[in-house]
This record gives sequence, structure tokens and C-alpha cells, in this order.
Amino acid sequence: MTLPSMSSPSMISPAMILHAPRSEAEVVEIVRGALAGATPLALQGGGTRAGFGHAVAAEAGLSTSALSGILRYTPGEMVMTALAGTPLEEVEAALAGQGQRLAFEPADHRPAMGTQGVPTIGGVFAANVSGPRRIAGGAARDSLLGIRFVNGRGEALSAGGRVMKNVTGLDLVKLMAGSYGTLGLMTEVTFRVLPQPERVETLVFSGLEDQAAAELMAAAMALPADVSGAAHLPESVRGRFLAGALPEGAATLLRLEGHAASVAIRAETLTRALGARAPLQRLGPEQSESLWRAVRDIHPYAEDGTQRPLWRVSVAPMAGPGLVAALRMEAGVDAFYDWQGGLVWLRMEAEPEAALLRGLIAKAGGGHATLLRANPAARAAIPAFEPQPAPLAALAARVKASLDPHGLFNPGRMG
Amino acid sequence: MSNATSHAAEGPGCAPIAFLPPRPDVLARRDEIMAALTELVSAGGVVRAPLALKPFETDAFVAYRQPPLAVVLPQTTAEVSAVLAYCHSARVPVVARGAGTSLSGGAIPQADAVVLGLSRMNRILEIDLENRTARVEAGVTNLSISEKVAAQGFFYAPDPSSQLACTIGGNIAMNSGGAHCLKYGVTTNNLLGVTLVLIDGTVVTLGGKHLDAGGYDLLGLVCGAEGQLGVVTEAVVRLIARPEGARPVLFGFDSSEEAGACVADIIAAGIIPVAIEFMDRPAIAICEAFAKAGYPLDVAALLIVEVEGAEAEMAAMLAEIVTIARRHGVRTVRESQSATEAALIWKGRKSAFGATGRIADYICMDGTVPLSQLPYVLKRTGEICAGFGLEVANVFHAGDGNMHPLILFNANDPAEAAKAEAAGNEILKLCVEAGGCLTGEHGVGLEKRDLMRFQYSEAELAQQMAVRAAFDPLWLLNPSKVFPLEGRPA
Amino acid sequence: MQTFFTPAQRADPALAESEAILRRCVHCGFCTATCPTYVTLGNELDSPRGRIYLIKDMLENDRPATAEVVTHLDRCLSCLACTTTCPSGVDYMHLIDHARMHVEKTYARPLPDRAIRALLARILPYPARFRLALSLARIGRPLAPLFERIAPLRPLAAMLRLAPKGRPAAAPSDVSAKPLASSAAGSKRAIPYGNSTPASLSAAGAEAAPPARRVAILRGCAQRVLDPGIDAAARRLLSRLGIALVDVPGEGCCGALVHHMGREEEALGFARRNVDLWTARIAAGGLDAILVTTSGCGTTLKDYGHMLKRDPAYAEKAARVSALARDITEYLAECDLPALPARGLTVAYHAACSLQHWQKVTLAPKRLLAAAGFSVREPAEGHLCCGSAGTYNILQPEISAALQARKVSNIEATRADLVCAGNIGCLTQIGAATSLPVVHTVELLDWAYGGPVPARLAASARFAAAE
Repeated sequence: MTLPSMSSPSMISPAMILHAPRSEAEVVEIVRGALAGATPLALQGGGTRAGFGHAVAAEAGLSTSALSGILRYTPGEMVMTALAGTPLEEVEAALAGQGQRLAFEPADHRPAMGTQGVPTIGGVFAANVSGPRRIAGGAARDSLLGIRFVNGRGEALSAGGRVMKNVTGLDLVKLMAGSYGTLGLMTEVTFRVLPQPERVETLVFSGLEDQAAAELMAAAMALPADVSGAAHLPESVRGRFLAGALPEGAATLLRLEGHAASVAIRAETLTRALGARAPLQRLGPEQSESLWRAVRDIHPYAEDGTQRPLWRVSVAPMAGPGLVAALRMEAGVDAFYDWQGGLVWLRMEAEPEAALLRGLIAKAGGGHATLLRANPAARAAIPAFEPQPAPLAALAARVKASLDPHGLFNPGRMG
Repeated sequence: MSNATSHAAEGPGCAPIAFLPPRPDVLARRDEIMAALTELVSAGGVVRAPLALKPFETDAFVAYRQPPLAVVLPQTTAEVSAVLAYCHSARVPVVARGAGTSLSGGAIPQADAVVLGLSRMNRILEIDLENRTARVEAGVTNLSISEKVAAQGFFYAPDPSSQLACTIGGNIAMNSGGAHCLKYGVTTNNLLGVTLVLIDGTVVTLGGKHLDAGGYDLLGLVCGAEGQLGVVTEAVVRLIARPEGARPVLFGFDSSEEAGACVADIIAAGIIPVAIEFMDRPAIAICEAFAKAGYPLDVAALLIVEVEGAEAEMAAMLAEIVTIARRHGVRTVRESQSATEAALIWKGRKSAFGATGRIADYICMDGTVPLSQLPYVLKRTGEICAGFGLEVANVFHAGDGNMHPLILFNANDPAEAAKAEAAGNEILKLCVEAGGCLTGEHGVGLEKRDLMRFQYSEAELAQQMAVRAAFDPLWLLNPSKVFPLEGRPA
Repeated sequence: MQTFFTPAQRADPALAESEAILRRCVHCGFCTATCPTYVTLGNELDSPRGRIYLIKDMLENDRPATAEVVTHLDRCLSCLACTTTCPSGVDYMHLIDHARMHVEKTYARPLPDRAIRALLARILPYPARFRLALSLARIGRPLAPLFERIAPLRPLAAMLRLAPKGRPAAAPSDVSAKPLASSAAGSKRAIPYGNSTPASLSAAGAEAAPPARRVAILRGCAQRVLDPGIDAAARRLLSRLGIALVDVPGEGCCGALVHHMGREEEALGFARRNVDLWTARIAAGGLDAILVTTSGCGTTLKDYGHMLKRDPAYAEKAARVSALARDITEYLAECDLPALPARGLTVAYHAACSLQHWQKVTLAPKRLLAAAGFSVREPAEGHLCCGSAGTYNILQPEISAALQARKVSNIEATRADLVCAGNIGCLTQIGAATSLPVVHTVELLDWAYGGPVPARLAASARFAAAE
């Protein structure tokens, strides 16, 4: 089925042909057609993360929007299979109906990226989306068990399966997760889910400097408390959470989830060990939900029309505060931390300062910076993903060619 | 290579999984290759005498054997790089080997291959507790990482039964699991970075102490690639704070069906213990004989369910589990009363395969099935083995559906060995038909290579091989494994 | 695993036994992890599994041992950590014993190696010769660095270094079987328990009570030269417990030293002589146990039954002797020694391989020490050998030194006040590399239950004060 493009995700121009196949067979047909005509395709799910990476040079779009629906859900096995274009909301509602949820807490990037549209479960995996639970529950790739996809030769293939342990052959599932539609179009995804916890609570430590907060989070992670979220919100962003209801000063958050009795015990463990470090307050389930959703969705830096540069920086947890401090010496920047300090969200006041930032990351022991948002000129000039050393880049190019030999899918997306 | 002729494995009684035919030009250059390798590694790093090569001819998949051309034991990444660059230029196949504990023949050599043993690279390079990471050389054993950080209250989570001996490099090659992955995941979920040496000697770093991968998730691809994409020389792994306490509880049932249904109900109730292990009567007897862990010998099926956390947490969770077990007619419930007892319970379980050696030779299957299929597959497994006149002991990770039927046979009886292998193949086909897979954690290796078509289409295999070729276009790395010999790219 | 022996080979009982051992091995590789040489050298060939494979190939093909095979077999310490680890129950000890005999029969060692082995076999088992050799060693010690530089002579250097620096104290009149109740009573430390004298000990002091049990202590060979104080301590303690000590004149080396060199006939010679003497003593009035204070020897005594099982004249007698053999701590653990208050001393207990891996006596020494008031610490990697292993520290000095250093660093990391172990080889090996005092378990027990402070502790003001 081929429709003129209706919605306008940023990478697909309104004039472009947008294919919205309704079956895997149609996907194969479209890809083979594109192959014959050597016409590159821009792949997309709901388009809410279309701004990730670079502009795609394609003449037609291929959307999963018509490949929607949950195919199989067996709560007793904690596994669901859905077509790639199934709205995330539908998946989450079905899970909630059975007292389950996705382990990896996918972020909604619409506020930060200024996009519209409906996030799809396929898009979540294609971008390997994760959330604050990454430190405990992994990212999307850690939940993804199996896929069906169409490669650049127009072949419909499956990889992985629907069981939790599977080492049969190469793990193409991991490779496809986070490949941003540059290796193939996932048509179907099978993933592991988890029971919803009985209780969620958040410990809020107030007034800590970044470094002290990192130390507190590290100490918490060293305790037998199963912390499932550890974030630090400096004073500059604190007011943007819970409508300003967090106590004065920077807020350092530790989240506990699980059986109510267990959460209570672990909260005690943390309080005993860390309570002397800063004033401490405990938040119940409702506030916790809202607070961590805001952390997950990069709420303080939601797009406000200014296109101020937004970086997602991944470093060793203890390297975060030092990196930010060094950066502050040279540029105007606002920051907050997730993942025990290892995920640093940076909003630059003016220029992206890519060279400066990437240099500092290298000095801080390595990691990488992904530019999520900036004005078009900057986006065009700066590699969105951390540039790789030549041998690795060459290897990645060979891997891409092995799945998409003619460069049909999302050309240019990953640089 | 598509018209490769089979080269039968050595030794009488071996069923016919073929090795790739050795390349005559490589065999002819043996002395030259030895001399070159000797220059590349430090003293004592090359094993050359034919008699001394024999002990490297197999791993824990002992039914197949083939001495290599040479064995080289480098001590640094630079030496590994030099060896691979040389083998690449000289077109010599390379089989990486950790501790040689593979149950699928992942480390079994081929006649024209150099075995690259990582056993001398066994240093723990860095423990970084604040960032909860350990950086280790590939030859470090799995358990020694946990031992190193135990006093500080941390551990490395994936715990394959061979964790005492198996190396982290081997774990990465096979994406090893273990008993506790129900909660903590398998190797790939706990691996943060590797130093990988490509076949041409290029050294690349994938990942590190940070969580996000840059570019494609090559780390995820390398993990579980069975040494076909490169040789891992160092790894950064995640350390986790050890829970306050852990308690395995033994649940004895009168039938496997009851035990299986109990597992399904525990999971369905939203309780995720850290481990749920299953043993049937023969397996219980075998493990008890070695470990003397106090397993009940009068039950048909045993579950080891482990919960962890603070005392009150464990008690609360156990109470729920016991209630469910009672619904399924559990006959005996026994909680471990001390750390020593808990250790014995796990020692018995983890030694199950080896302990089987006390009564018979065995081959161990590793198929995984959806939980709902467990009772059916268990029943059919028994029927299949009975059909071949063989005994089977079942011991496996019930919480994730990863089955390990141990098919018992007499290795000195070639006919029985062949039957055991045939029965194994049937069981694995059954696992795939039931919606599962050929191997959950042991890897395809040599053992399941020729069964890959039961799980994958030609196009799927071709795609995997194309990805493989992106790393190793000449097919020099562990080439006899994983992919059926027929239908390989020319 | 699969084996390839012919029916003719299987007719040979020794080969049949080795085949049965090999059949149990499933090649799982667990043993590699706890093998000291594999951990040190990182080569499959220096692991139990690798050696099993080498042995299997050699025996199956009835091949003479080659230099390469001998190198790797020689590196085996016979510590038997592998048998503790092995889930399949592979009897590695008897397999390597068989292999060593095969090597001895089929392989001509290079001259220096042969000479040193012959020298050791001629000296160590004979106390008088050993005593003389030690005196000479003290004179020869300056030559050690010279020998060190010449590879084939390195064992000589190792030998010279191992010789104790001081003259071994003559055994205090080679304390005989005389009941020691009186001498203990004469000691100022006869009643160490404050006011409450434990019943079992006070009974021991009562000369009127007839000895309930009769035991012999293996006098052995090297230990009585290197440290006669150990047996003296054992005798004092047993006597105080009212146990009669029976002397068996003429008994000597158990045969272990030559046995581990594959010199089977010599080993059996020692064994038969001891078996004869003890059998006579058993006939002459009974023997409840043959106690051993050197666990390496205890291992061999307990194996006499196996070693001589194919000798019709000795099989039964030897089995009886083996059944009576007990490690001193194994025996004492059944003697209901009373619990004593803590004495503020921490002891790093080094588990000798022969005790923990072969005899599986693991808890008794630690429990005894704890009951005697010592705070017991177990060093990390307790399963690893210290590198002593009979004559190993002489024949394989490099590996031995590496293991010694590793062991001592693990022991010192416990921050214990002193080290104790139940085997003279370990005591010598560890003592040579640490400044901590190193004593035998039974010396500490004797001290705690009323004996004198062990000689190696007496020198230190700290322990004197602890009295």
C-alpha cells in the first residue's frame, strides 16, 4: 500500500512517497522494488525519534504504521510479540492489564525532540530506547528476544526467538536494536516483560553538590538495596520536577521498587547507611511515578522552540560530575544526571561545543556524546553520534553492507 | 567451500559430525608456521610436539576430537594481535580456547588450525567499585571475579555451572547463562566492553565503563559469536552489590508435571525468584552422590527455588512460593539452614554434569522452550530416550525454560554413542518445534552445527554468515563451527 | 570418556584399574581451576585434565614416556586439589602413581636428574643419613648461588636453601613410649584451666587408671630429623589424655618419598617392612590406631592397602594397617578435648594438601584449634599447595617458589599472629619464606592443654607473654 505522506516527521518531506505496507510480504515487495529502482528508503515507525542522527537522503518513506497489533501475549511466560508498528501505548496498556510492564522504561522523546506522532514498539527497539532503570533492568536491547525483519536484499528473516535464553547463531537481535533502521526494517518484535512492582518509593536527598551526589549514588549502588533508579537533579533543574514540589536545593534520587515489605526494608537500609549525608525525604508511588517519568523524558530540557543544543552523554558513572565541571569552565551549560551519574543530559546555552565536549569525554576516560537537538546548521556540521576510530568505522560499514549491500535503508542516518 | 567433502572425526565410535577438510597447503607448512609463531610469543608459548598437542584435541564435548596443528599461548593483547596478523597473512585457521569447558565443542580444533589459548592471560586488571566494573583479561575464570570482590559485597552475576573453571573470554564467546539469569540476565546483559582483536591483528575497543554503545551494538554481536568474529582479550564487566542474604529452598514433588506446573504458577503470580532449578529422580541421585547436599531421594522431581534479600523479604517471598507449591501437592519443603548448606545445595546442582561421569558417559542437551511447553517437552524427552533404549537425567533452569537432558550412554560402545547422538538430535528438534531454540547457553559449536537448518531458513543462515564475513572474510576464525558446512559462501 | 584399550591390556590389573579411572573422567575441566600448576603456568598440559590425557595416550598406546610427557607429569605436585574438585570422582592419585611407575620403567632421565633423584632416595628416608646431609648442607650453603646459575644443578641449590639454618635440636631423649603423665604433672603448666580441671585430663593424670587405648605414632624419617619437637608434643598430649603409646622399634620411612618419584619397588619395600612391624605389634597385644603427625606420610599409610592389594602375602595385613592409620588431629577430634577460653592469639591454619585433599580431614584441625582457644583464620586460596610437596621443592624449584610466594602472601594477608599446619613439608616450606612463626597443629594443642610453649614460639616475648 502506498500513500502520500500525511504526517510530517522531520526527515520525510511532504512530497515524498510514503509506503505503509500492511504485511511482511508487502514490505518485501516494496524493498525489492526499491532495490530494482535503486531508490533509497527512509524507514520510520511513529516518527517521534526521527530527529536522531542525521538527515536521511531518501526518495521514499517506508512506515510501519499499518503493521500494527499484538500477535501473542503469554503473561505466564512474560513474553509478548507485536507487529513493529503497534503503538507503544497499546502495548503498555495490554501489559498493565495483566499487572506487567516493560522492564526498560522507554523514554518518550517527543517533548525533547519537539516531534508529534505516536511512538511504536518497533521504533523503541530500533532506537534502543532506555530509561532510568537502565542500571538495573537494561535497555530495550536487553529485553528484545526475537525479531522478524526485512533486509536490504528484500528477504524476510527472523532472528532470535521467544525464549529468554537463546544463543543459537549470531545475535542479530542485538545488532538490529539501536541500528536506527539502517540495517533493515523490523516488522515484528518479541520481547520479555516483567511484573509490575507492588510498590515504588523514592528517597530524595537534598542539597548535595554534583560530586557528593555521585558519591552517594555509588554508595547506594554498593548496598544490597536493589536501587532501580539513581539520578541527580542540580538546583538549576530541580524546580522543573513535580511542579517545584521537591525540597530546596539539588535533589539526589534513589528509586526502590518491589514487594511492599521489601521496599520498606531496603529504604531502611539506605536510610541507615546514607541518611547522615543529607536531608532525606521519601516519596510515595504517585509522586515517584511522575518524578521518574520526568527524568526519563528529559523534562527540564523539553523543546521550547529555541533549539538550544541537547546532548546525551554516556560516561562511567563517577566521571559525570567532573566532566560537567570541566565543561562549565569553558561553556554555558545546564546539566542533570541519570544512571548513577553515567548518563548526563547537557543543554548548551549557545553553541553545541562538540569538539570541546568530546575532547573532555576522552580525557574523562571515554564514553560518548550524542547530539539530539540543535539548529539545522549545527546538526549538519556536527556528527550526531560519537565518531568512531577508523578500524571500527570500517568494520561498522562492512556490517551495514552485509545487511543492506545497496545502501537502501536510511542512508546517512548514522553518519 | 560449498562442495566441501566431509572429513570424519578421529577415533572409533564417533558419530559423523564432519570437520572442514584440512587445507593441505597449511599442513605442509607446519614447521614454517611453528617457527613463525615461536617468534611472536614469549618463551614456552608454543606447544609443538604431536603428543603434547593431543590434550588440546577436545573440550568438554569429548565425543569429538581432533588435534590441532599447533597451540600458541600468548600473554598479552599485543601477542594475540601478532599471532592473528600472522595467521591471517599465512591463511591459517585459528580456534580460540579459554578453559576448554565447552559442552558444544566450541574449542575443538581442526587439523590445520592453530589453537589460540587464552589461559595465560589470567590477570584481573582493575576493580572499580565506584563504577561497579571489573576489567579482566579473557583467561580469568568467571568465579574468580566474584571471589575478588566478595569481601566488598559485590559479585559478577552470570554463573554458568562451570563457573569455577570457565573463563570470561569463553563466557563471552558463548554468551553464557547460568542459574541466576532469571533475575540478573546472561553474559550479554552484564558485559560492558571488550578489547577485540580482529583476524588481521587490528585491535578495537567496544564499549567500556559507560552503558551506551556507540554506533552499532557490535558488543552485543560479538557476545555469543563463538569466537568467529575476533578474539576477545580483555573485558569490562558489571559488578552488582550482593544481596543481604540468599536462600535456596528444596521442593520435592511426586511428578515432573506437578513441579512444572508449580514453576509456571510462580512466574504467573508475578514472583521472580533469582533461580528456579529442576531435577528429576536420576539427576537428584547423581548430584546427591557427589555433593551430599541433602536432596530428598524419595521424590520424582525437585525444584531448587532461590530467593534473596533481607531476612523479612525472603520470608515473605518464600511464604507465597510455599503456598503455590502446596497447591501443586509439594511433598517436601526444605529450607537451607546455613550458608554452608546453601553452598552444598548449589554445589550439587552445579556439578550435575560432571557427577554424571560417576555412572555413565553423557551428552548434555541445551534446548530452551517456552515455559508453557516444559511439561510436554519433558515428557517427550523421556519417550524419545526410551525409544532409543537410553536413560536420561533431567536437570535444568526451569525458570527460563532452558532444558538440560543428560543422555546417558557408554562411550566405549560405538552403537550406543550413535544412538545417544540421534536421541539428542530428536530432542533438539522437539525444542524448536515447541517454539524454542537449539541452544540456550552452551552454544552451537560443533555439536549443533548441522541442526541449524531446523531453526533457520537458508536465507537466515546466509544473512548470519554475511555478517560473520564482515569480520572475517576469509573464514579463518573457528571455521568448522556454528554454520553448516554445506551452503557456505565460496 | 571413551578409552582405547585392547582386551590384552585390560587383562593387566594395573591397566584395568587405570582404565576404570579414565572412564570416569568426563573432561569437564573443573580440575584445571584448582590445580596449582595450571593456575601458575596456564597450560592445559600442566593441568590434571591435560596430564590425564597425556597418561591416557601413553598407556593406551603402551608408549614409552617421552621427555615432553615427563616434563608435565613431573610438574604435578600430587597435591590432589583436583580430586577435591572433581565431580566425577576421578581417582587421579592412583592414575598418576601408575604413570610415574611407567615413566620410571620406560624413560631414561638425563644424568643430573637421575643423580639427584637417586641422592634424595638414598638420603631422605634414612634419618641418620639425612642428619649428616643437613650438617653438610650447612657447610655447602654458600655454593647455592653457584648451582642456581647452572640449570641442571638448580635442585641442589634448592636443597641447600631448604636446609634449616640452625642445627636441629636433638629429640628430647627421643621421648619414648613412657606414659608422660608424671612429666606433665611436673610441668608448671600442668593445670592450665584455672580451677576447673576437665574430667578427661584429670583422669589422664591419674596413673592408676588403666590406659583405655593403645596407639602407635609413626616415627617416620625426615620429620624426626627436622623437628623432633612435633612428635614430642603429640606424645605429651596423648599421654596426658591417658592414651598408651606403643613403641614399634625399627619402623621408619613410610615410602612416600620414593613412591612419588615412581620408585615403586623401593616404596613397597618400606611399606612391607612397616606393615610387618605393625602387624606383629597388633598381634602382640592390639593397637587402636597408628597416628601420623606428618599428613603426607599419613596419606601413604592410608594407601598401603591399595599399594599392596595385588601382593597376596600382604594385601590383608596392609589393609588392616591402613584402616588403623589416622591423622593426629583426626584422632584427637574424637577425644573430647574440653573447650578452653579464648587466648587472644590468631592462627592462620594452612591446610596441607595431603590432609585436605587426600585424607579429607578438613574440619578436625580447625575445630580443635578453636576449642583450644585460638582464633582460627583461613587464608584465601586455601586449596592451593604451598609448593613443598615432598621433594617437589627440590626437583621443581621455580614452580615451588612461585607457589610458596603466593601461599605466604595469602597467609600474611590474614594478619594472623602465627601459622600452623599438620605437615612438616609445609612447615619447612612456609617457614622459609615468612617471618611469622610456623608450628605444627599438635604443638599448639599440646601447649594449650598444658604442654610447654612450642620451641618456635618460645623465642618471642609476645608468645611468652601470652602464656
